[in-house]
Amino acid sequence: MENYHHKMAAHCESGTVTALLNHGGLEITEPLVFGISGGIFFGYFHKTKAFSFPTFIMRNKPGQIRNNIENRLGVKFRTYEFRDPVKGQIQLDDLLIRKIPTGVQVDFFYMDYVPSWERVHINVHYLVVVGKDGNHYAISDSYFPAMVELDASSLEKGRFAGGNMSPKGFIFHLDRVPADIDYQAAIVKGIKKACFYMLRLPMPFLGIRGIRLFAKKVVEWPSFARDTEHLSHEIMKINILLEDQGTGGAGFRYIYATFLQQAAAIVQKPELKELSEELMKIGDGWREISLFSARIGKNRDLGPDKLKLLSEMIYDRAEAEERFFKNLSVAIK
Amino acid sequence: MKEKEGYVDYPEQQMILYVEKDDGKYGPMQTGSFISANYLDDYKLKRRNLEIGLREQLTANSISPLKYFMVLEDLTLSELSARAGIRKSRVRKQLTPQKFGSVTTNELQRYAAVFNIGVANLLQVVLVGINGNYESNLILENSAGHISVIHEPTANPFVVLTKIEERK
Repeated sequence: MENYHHKMAAHCESGTVTALLNHGGLEITEPLVFGISGGIFFGYFHKTKAFSFPTFIMRNKPGQIRNNIENRLGVKFRTYEFRDPVKGQIQLDDLLIRKIPTGVQVDFFYMDYVPSWERVHINVHYLVVVGKDGNHYAISDSYFPAMVELDASSLEKGRFAGGNMSPKGFIFHLDRVPADIDYQAAIVKGIKKACFYMLRLPMPFLGIRGIRLFAKKVVEWPSFARDTEHLSHEIMKINILLEDQGTGGAGFRYIYATFLQQAAAIVQKPELKELSEELMKIGDGWREISLFSARIGKNRDLGPDKLKLLSEMIYDRAEAEERFFKNLSVAIK
Repeated sequence: MKEKEGYVDYPEQQMILYVEKDDGKYGPMQTGSFISANYLDDYKLKRRNLEIGLREQLTANSISPLKYFMVLEDLTLSELSARAGIRKSRVRKQLTPQKFGSVTTNELQRYAAVFNIGVANLLQVVLVGINGNYESNLILENSAGHISVIHEPTANPFVVLTKIEERK
């Protein structure tokens, strides 16, 4: 597709949505897409059937970025789901013949162009398919500096993987962009929702409460581990979840700070710019947690004193984020 | 975070970080992965040790091949069951060597698809000799010295061609 411009992005879903909107003629940045959709979040999962070890998330539910952008900007994406892989491939190929770049949900594990150490089973990776040549698809994956190729069988395996949040062949493409978009209203709504999810959800594992639960429970992680190396691996994954898994750094806090800076100019509220600076500093604290986790994991220095220190650092982030989101909800009223 | 603090020289794994630029504006910068640049060797060592431990249990008939791959790929019982489309109680049984014999060829195909390997490779561990030690080709990822081992799928779902050749 000659007029499609590949661009890296911090996060796969916000990057894919941004790419499709930009291709459709709407100039919007990834941080605005992320912030308007209320992407910032926190959830801690101590025991679940889907994960073999306690884990956490720092963004809203997969799929919500696209849904919320539709609702708040008035753009329209056309979506498709399939049971039959053959029908799924025919529909995708048809869109490509019509030169429509198409967002695709896949299991990251089957994306052969990814270095092996990065490849994990996660069913909510998003990318854009922009063409097909013989048995290979041209892929624009926002995690890669350049376009890549993927053979049809690997894409099919990724699109039709089973398990938690299985993609079911899900694809989507931009259908319509309205002539006028009320960015101010969209930004205000996105921020209000983010504040609500961080401050007011009653579940103890979500939002600020979730950060506190993470701080409380991380000292119990050794009881889940097979051995010291397993514990080291899981503690070092804190760094990966905060920095490497498409967060833009510090568990999406830096990209949200960027959103607030851009939003301040659009809604003409200088308080948002000040809050963006505060969030950047909060993000620096999350980054300290990342580096600390990597260091103690590598050194196998995982005794109770170090995990307590890690817990205190996380508690500290909960305090800082609670203050921040309370101030943000006042500023946006 | 300032832009200069975010720079990591690691072309093998690039990413986007949002940072504070010199003019005070926040925006994206392309950089390398900090953890891969600094700690990838440690990850590979842990994965190698995990494989050796699992292989010892596998060859001593303490675990089934299914358990070997499930742990290696960090899947839970529920997740493996959902991905393979096989009842959880049945998968649980097949994790033990005593009940693994009840597995059907159809189930083997489903499991192999989850692990992205050929059916034949579910039932064997290919080892490559390096400096007097045998290392799993799965862990080596075909990067062993002068030997190249490639498992090539065929149209027959039960057969893979294992090609061993000297690297030039």
